[in-house]
Amino acid sequence: MRRHLIELILFSTYAELRAETARNYLGLIWWILEPAMMMGAFWLVFDVILKSGGPDYIPFLLIGLSVWQWMKSCMTHGGYAIWSNLPMVRQVPLPPLVFPLIAMLADTVKFAFIFALLVLILWALGYPPNGSYWALPILFGAVFLAAAGVGFVIAALVPLVPDLRFVIEQVLMVVMFLSGVVFPLSQVPPSLKWLMDLNPVAVVMDDARLILMHDQLPNWVGLSKVYLISIVLCLFGIAAVRALAPRFPKLAG
Amino acid sequence: MSEILVELEHVGVAFHAQRSIGGGRFWAIEDVNLQLRRGDRLGVIGRNGAGKSTLLRVIAGILAPDRGKVRRGPVSCQLLALSLGFVPYLSGRDNAVLSGLLLGLRRREIIARLPAIREFSELGEFFDEPIATYSAGMSMRLAFSVAMQAEPDVLLIDEVLAVGDSEFQEKSGAALRERMREGQTVVLVSHSEEQIKKRCDRVLWIEHGRSVLEGARDEVFAAYNAALHHVAEAV
Repeated sequence: MRRHLIELILFSTYAELRAETARNYLGLIWWILEPAMMMGAFWLVFDVILKSGGPDYIPFLLIGLSVWQWMKSCMTHGGYAIWSNLPMVRQVPLPPLVFPLIAMLADTVKFAFIFALLVLILWALGYPPNGSYWALPILFGAVFLAAAGVGFVIAALVPLVPDLRFVIEQVLMVVMFLSGVVFPLSQVPPSLKWLMDLNPVAVVMDDARLILMHDQLPNWVGLSKVYLISIVLCLFGIAAVRALAPRFPKLAG
Repeated sequence: MSEILVELEHVGVAFHAQRSIGGGRFWAIEDVNLQLRRGDRLGVIGRNGAGKSTLLRVIAGILAPDRGKVRRGPVSCQLLALSLGFVPYLSGRDNAVLSGLLLGLRRREIIARLPAIREFSELGEFFDEPIATYSAGMSMRLAFSVAMQAEPDVLLIDEVLAVGDSEFQEKSGAALRERMREGQTVVLVSHSEEQIKKRCDRVLWIEHGRSVLEGARDEVFAAYNAALHHVAEAV
């Protein structure tokens, strides 16, 4: 039973990625082009126009947006996955967690491509791969767990209250701006600094830049807290999905 | 008496009337009793909205009862679901694998059956083309061929299967009849008395979500027709 589910999740992930590349003329190229266009837009606004970027702004922005895009897509695609698969939920008795997992895995594969490209670009900008890279898998583990935790909670609620989607997009936008994704948090007034330190997204953003730009190891205490919060969120989200599972097949898609 | 596979006791399932705050509930089925034994070919009759489709989804294990009890032995019960999980941009082959996995087959089992699926669906070279390029008939042929690969202990069929052109309808109907002859346990829901009379040996009659009568085909049909006649006269 369990092995069958693993096969189902892996093949569905492949199918989703395959379908996505087949759907558009440029196929795979969009995996790179879309984030690249977004990075260009932020660079234009914050560096060229507002001149608030600072000397290392381009690598800072590239790292921030790549990691954030991965987190955000896991949270939203994973979060909407049960809702968008309700027609299937009504036809087969499958554990509903399968659907967010497929979406998150597909986004993680896409991130792998983007990350490979990011490393090359950083190298070209004068930040070659360094000895601290070994800590990246630990950092990415925290990023994935945090995104998955939020994603599971959203996945449990959106089928019941689809209206939440409109709120979620806006909340995630605010979180992005408050997490040092597109501008350094050093620009935040000191009176609000404590709030930023509690934000797990801000912690992983800092750590990613420490490793990739400065050859430094992450802040282990901060990262451990992120792990702790994320695991609690995941457990809560999984419990919520399982508790609400009997209601999903009764919902109109 | 042969082994009981599924048993429903005073089962009720409630739905929320609409998605809004404070929407009320309605009972799609209120009180249904049913015993399904191995080898049964059970037809479910009743008017539109009697709860026939909901009942199938309870037997399939998709819907959990809100009241009453469902006892299911260690058996698989499956809705004959067509086009399950089909993705338009994938080839017929990939869709067959995906759909098979969703129907509960292991990957190697489906891969072993791909030649049979290709053969039965009569798709030929199109099997490796995206199904977005298929006609509606081709798509249904693939869907039926894949669905027939699942071999549950209990096969649940909703409504008459009108699949593809008339020639393929004949072929798909024959495949299903063959299954039934081989002793497949089946629950068939249909509006068509004709279908059920031809295919089933036992019948459950439900009305407004309640079991009215369950028993041998002719006996239930006699009572059902008498009741309909009675209503017609009263009107």
